[in-house]
Amino acid sequence: MNRTFDRYASIVFLLLGIGFMWQSASISATSYGSTVGPNIFPFGLGLVLVLLSIRLFYEVMKTKPNEQKKAQLDYKRFFIIFITAFLYAYFLEFIGYIIGTFVFLLVAFQTIERGKWLKSILIAGLFSISVYVIFVVLLEGSMPGFPSWLS
Amino acid sequence: MNVLDYLADGFMTALQWHNILFAFFGVLIGTSVGVLPGIGPMSGVALLIPVTASMTSGLPPEAAATSSIILLAGVYYGAMYGGSTTSILLNTPGESSSVVTTLDGYQMAKQGRAGAALSIAAIGSFVAGLFALVALIALAQPLSSVAINFGPADYFSLMLLGLCAVSGLAGKSITKALIMTVFGLLLATIGMDTVSGVARFTFGIPLLYSGLEFLTIAVGLFALGEVFKTILEKDYSSGGIAKIGRVLPSRQDLKDSAAPITRGSILGFFIGILPGAGATLASFFSYIVEKKVSKKPETFGKGNIAGVAAPESANNAASGGAMIPLLTLGIPGSGTTAILMGALIMYNIQPGPLLFEEHPQVAWGLIASMLIGNLLLLVLNMPLVKVFAKVIQTPAKYLIPIIIAISVFGVYAVQAQVFDLILLLGCGIAGFLLARNDFPLAPLVLGLVLGPMIENNMRRALTTSNGDFMIFLQKPMSLAFLIIAVLWIAVPILLKRRGKEVVVNEEG
Repeated sequence: MNRTFDRYASIVFLLLGIGFMWQSASISATSYGSTVGPNIFPFGLGLVLVLLSIRLFYEVMKTKPNEQKKAQLDYKRFFIIFITAFLYAYFLEFIGYIIGTFVFLLVAFQTIERGKWLKSILIAGLFSISVYVIFVVLLEGSMPGFPSWLS
Repeated sequence: MNVLDYLADGFMTALQWHNILFAFFGVLIGTSVGVLPGIGPMSGVALLIPVTASMTSGLPPEAAATSSIILLAGVYYGAMYGGSTTSILLNTPGESSSVVTTLDGYQMAKQGRAGAALSIAAIGSFVAGLFALVALIALAQPLSSVAINFGPADYFSLMLLGLCAVSGLAGKSITKALIMTVFGLLLATIGMDTVSGVARFTFGIPLLYSGLEFLTIAVGLFALGEVFKTILEKDYSSGGIAKIGRVLPSRQDLKDSAAPITRGSILGFFIGILPGAGATLASFFSYIVEKKVSKKPETFGKGNIAGVAAPESANNAASGGAMIPLLTLGIPGSGTTAILMGALIMYNIQPGPLLFEEHPQVAWGLIASMLIGNLLLLVLNMPLVKVFAKVIQTPAKYLIPIIIAISVFGVYAVQAQVFDLILLLGCGIAGFLLARNDFPLAPLVLGLVLGPMIENNMRRALTTSNGDFMIFLQKPMSLAFLIIAVLWIAVPILLKRRGKEVVVNEEG
């Protein structure tokens, strides 16, 4: 059990619970034809969440800290891939599906293991083009293929 | 019409060529999902919802729902077949429900009997799958006719029971599981309230009016969460695999495993019906039972074929059994069935007692296709097991980025919103962090799926009683469900107090 994480998690859930309770107070209390309005359910749940997170906080305090060796996490690769994925998702509509996916896959392949450029390019290209062709051409789905400023 | 007529109609649906194709791809992908260590049945099913949604977009709504659910269910039970392959050949289970299979399966592989172990696992899964289906066919209609008399109060309590059962058995800490459940229920309240039309927790942001999309959250939490874990833990190695050798089991093997398969099927099926107890528990229990009834318990762990046959049958029977509460009551008992339910709701099809009346095509088509799918799996797994053994060696280097790309594609194809893609990535990180710190994810998804239904039933019940909460205790059915729900949470806590080991369901 990771005590630090659990402690922060219990505080976050506590705040979320309070937030939901506070916000549900501003929802109208009754709806037409019923004494039971749309505010009761979220308010009650928020209350339960608050109680549970206090309980979790108490449980964490009770457990003794036990130092356990954590495997070293590979943050560098993860952040490169995650940031690339974020940029890919954020700019998907701007740069289009084919180019975006190709670049994302190529960067991610090379981040995990350098080298074999030809194979990486082939797989990335094949994947992005074939998904686009199947989805947009055959299934007539809508997906920005190429950036609108290019065509 | 009686059950057989319905079943015949179901076969008419399931035997349409595109549905056979969907069943085939479902079980094929399912087996691969089971074989690949990085993705389990939950992320596999979640990942494929958007793909099937775009594939079936040309069909009329009900046919589209049938075809997609056929494929998704195929992935679910196909993964149970595939999971055994890595357990036996690599000593690393492809998913949690085949953890026990490693004990005897890998030993058999070391003795050069990998082929026999694999084929017994496939035969056992097939027999168990058939058994579960026959039981499902027999129980479906009586159960839904009981459930149809449930009032809103009964339904509310029953769903509460389902949530408590899943929380009580998921993961190490019940408090954490309950937090995840409540959080899932709260997330479900975001958006337009279906009863009164009031916007809740939207802060005036138009994107939030339709609520957080279930699909985005499920794909993010499960598929991306697992992918991020693999990247962060540098867990790419696949290792060497054992030689398979002769695939067909000997007559002695068949004789030795007949009884374990039967026991595993029956036990697995009934454990599968219980909410919260899924395939993982079923396989553990059946292994323990086999060890107890065996004349030579000391041979377990040293390559006893019963130690492969029983748990593999049990986990497959459990996945069939888990379909019963989903289809007849509309209550998913595990993370994977919750995702299946979410998929059905996406197609505007509400699982529950009315499903068999309102959408017989979907319900019976699915049941019939599961018979076909199990047959396909047997064919796929016996001669082609060597091909699937090759799938294990797919380099993770290519697989992991492609899973991210499929998630992004799938969510965008269905939602067409960049907001959902950002939410997807956020859920991926949340999924990784939560799962790493023993916060189980299955209850969250369950809460998210059941949230609107619980709330509607609660409000309907309270409206009839003029806001009096005692109605949940006055209706006998509702009271019974609530008592069971309390016991389900309380008994494990009491057992833990007494220092007893409590078996938990890691898969959820």
